Amino acid sequence: MGSVVEIAPLTRLEGHGSVRVFREGCRVERVELHFDDSPRLFEALLLGKSYAEVPDIVCRICSLCSTVHKVTALLAVEDALGVEVSEVTTLTRDLMLQAGMIQDHALHLYCLVLPDLLGVRGVAELAQVAPDLLKTGLAVKKAGNQILETVGGRLIHPVNIRLGGLGRALGKKELVRLRDELAKVLPAAQEAHRLFSTPFPFPDLPEPEYIALQPADNPLGAQLLRMSDGSSFPVRDYRRHIEETVVGHSNAKLSRVFGKHATVGSLARLNLDATGLEAGAAALFAGHKHELAGKDMRGNNLAQAIEMCHATERALRLLDRLIELGARSEAAAEPSPRAGTGCAAGEAPRGVLIHSYSFDGRGICTGADVITPTALNQGALARDLEALARGMEGEETSRMTTALERLIRCYDPCISCSVHVLSL
Amino acid sequence: MKRLKLAITGLTACSGCQLTLLNCEDELPELLERCELIYFPLAESGDLDEASFDAAIVEGAVSTPKDLELLFKLRNASRLLVAYGTCALFGGVAAMNNRVSARVDLLQSVFGTGNKLPDSFPPVPLGNFVSVDATITGCPPETCDIVAMVAALAAGTLPPAPSYPVCTECRSRENLCLLLEKGQLCLGPVVQGGCNARCPATGIVCEGCRGPVREANVAQELELLLERGFGRDEIERRMSRFKPEWNYGQRS
Repeated sequence: MGSVVEIAPLTRLEGHGSVRVFREGCRVERVELHFDDSPRLFEALLLGKSYAEVPDIVCRICSLCSTVHKVTALLAVEDALGVEVSEVTTLTRDLMLQAGMIQDHALHLYCLVLPDLLGVRGVAELAQVAPDLLKTGLAVKKAGNQILETVGGRLIHPVNIRLGGLGRALGKKELVRLRDELAKVLPAAQEAHRLFSTPFPFPDLPEPEYIALQPADNPLGAQLLRMSDGSSFPVRDYRRHIEETVVGHSNAKLSRVFGKHATVGSLARLNLDATGLEAGAAALFAGHKHELAGKDMRGNNLAQAIEMCHATERALRLLDRLIELGARSEAAAEPSPRAGTGCAAGEAPRGVLIHSYSFDGRGICTGADVITPTALNQGALARDLEALARGMEGEETSRMTTALERLIRCYDPCISCSVHVLSL
Repeated sequence: MKRLKLAITGLTACSGCQLTLLNCEDELPELLERCELIYFPLAESGDLDEASFDAAIVEGAVSTPKDLELLFKLRNASRLLVAYGTCALFGGVAAMNNRVSARVDLLQSVFGTGNKLPDSFPPVPLGNFVSVDATITGCPPETCDIVAMVAALAAGTLPPAPSYPVCTECRSRENLCLLLEKGQLCLGPVVQGGCNARCPATGIVCEGCRGPVREANVAQELELLLERGFGRDEIERRMSRFKPEWNYGQRS
């Protein structure tokens, strides 16, 4: 007799989702992944707004990755209007991206994944069974957040990074304080990999087709998307290669790259190009290479831990450089409206993010397009869920649902992001 | 001491308000001791079941039948309901076009005309459907506000609600006035303070993310902006970013 097992709501991840496993006896017929967030239709809301409003509105797509949304939107609008920014601005944006990566990976690893490793319900029990580990994670997260708060002017939806430059120049004292605070958590960031290096003991999953931005060591200037089969294409041509379809049971569109379900995120980045890693993170990667190379998404937690170390080291280096350059108040480049289209891509904590906007001669937005990492990952996640459910046929239902939830968390999905899909 | 039984969740939103609670890194361990987080899907496994709560803290606007179902469940299961953040209070960014575009047109421009459209309606505040006992504003809210709310609830009371505009804090920080001295489209005079004027402090206009201050002199703000050469359309568009409906004739 047919039966349906439903996991709802999916927990310890961003947004609203559910999974349904359709079974015939103990045989798994199919698995449906539902992204249930209400579509907020950002791409439609942006039409008719001025170029200056776009980055402030669109960063509200997501709170966990509002920094990378804001930076990518700024780059796309500046690309459309032909605006060049100063070295200090670029370094500051890079610093913000690293801080966003630190706080987001720390949140995911210590608050959302760690309960799975310790077999507890969530962050509250964690505070009882492993208070020191939780405090360590929160300390790393806080060091990233302090940078967002001070440099960005606000922790979520940052304001101080703006079109053409910065709002307020940062003082040397502030930068030194941020550097000293961040340096204190470097040892914790370097040790995190030990906690997350053992993958969940699931049956094997299909080998992923990774995709990430190149070059990896230039997060603000990456122009190429490369896949693990060696193929690549310029970010500018993404509409030709990324195909999106509406699936009936999900509010997010399904993306395919060259007809394949791509996997983006930390694991994809480290697999495709680890040469951009800072020294400490590179050493960690070398030590864990066999646990990451060509592995399925269970390796993503370890990859995030290594990236958290990388982002901490990179942020420290950027802070040193900014301190060396000294606080300088420079006027932001004033963009003047012109007709055109601009496009930019960035690596969000969860993977490749693309923003593209078109403006008319008055600078009014006539087209908006956002492709998010979770929308890109959705197909691979659905495929892996089905493979895992099939691989666990005959096992207790609760064991299967627990495993499915853990797998979903490895993808670190951000559902409110994914439900913002491009205009057709 | 009896621990406070809490539900914390979101409807149509970005999770930023809930994340703000997790961003209270220093206070979080103590908050977790004082409260029982019975339903907090962002950071706790478990479902709603037959649980009852002392307070449900709800982020986001209402824009789908599912949102409404969850909101009613929480209202029924909880003694107090807290509207958490600008979307829950005023509709927020997702509601900005409520007055100017039909929902179906927005949906079709994103999902296409040939596809089945998601079941949704224009995003509205929680208060349109249920009674709301307390509020926290902001997009995102300030970390200190959620800490103060939980602490007050645990003490059996509610935190005081400030009722002064962004300008009050902006002037006391001695920032340059972006509206009067630089002629920029700053919404500070009509917007609820409590953020310590963080945007004007970085030289960026108040975009109004905390919604209207009590007794806002909206008509005067409109006149000031019109005098400075901004068009009525642009002003209304900017005012609507976080709250679609304003009474432009209101003089406090």
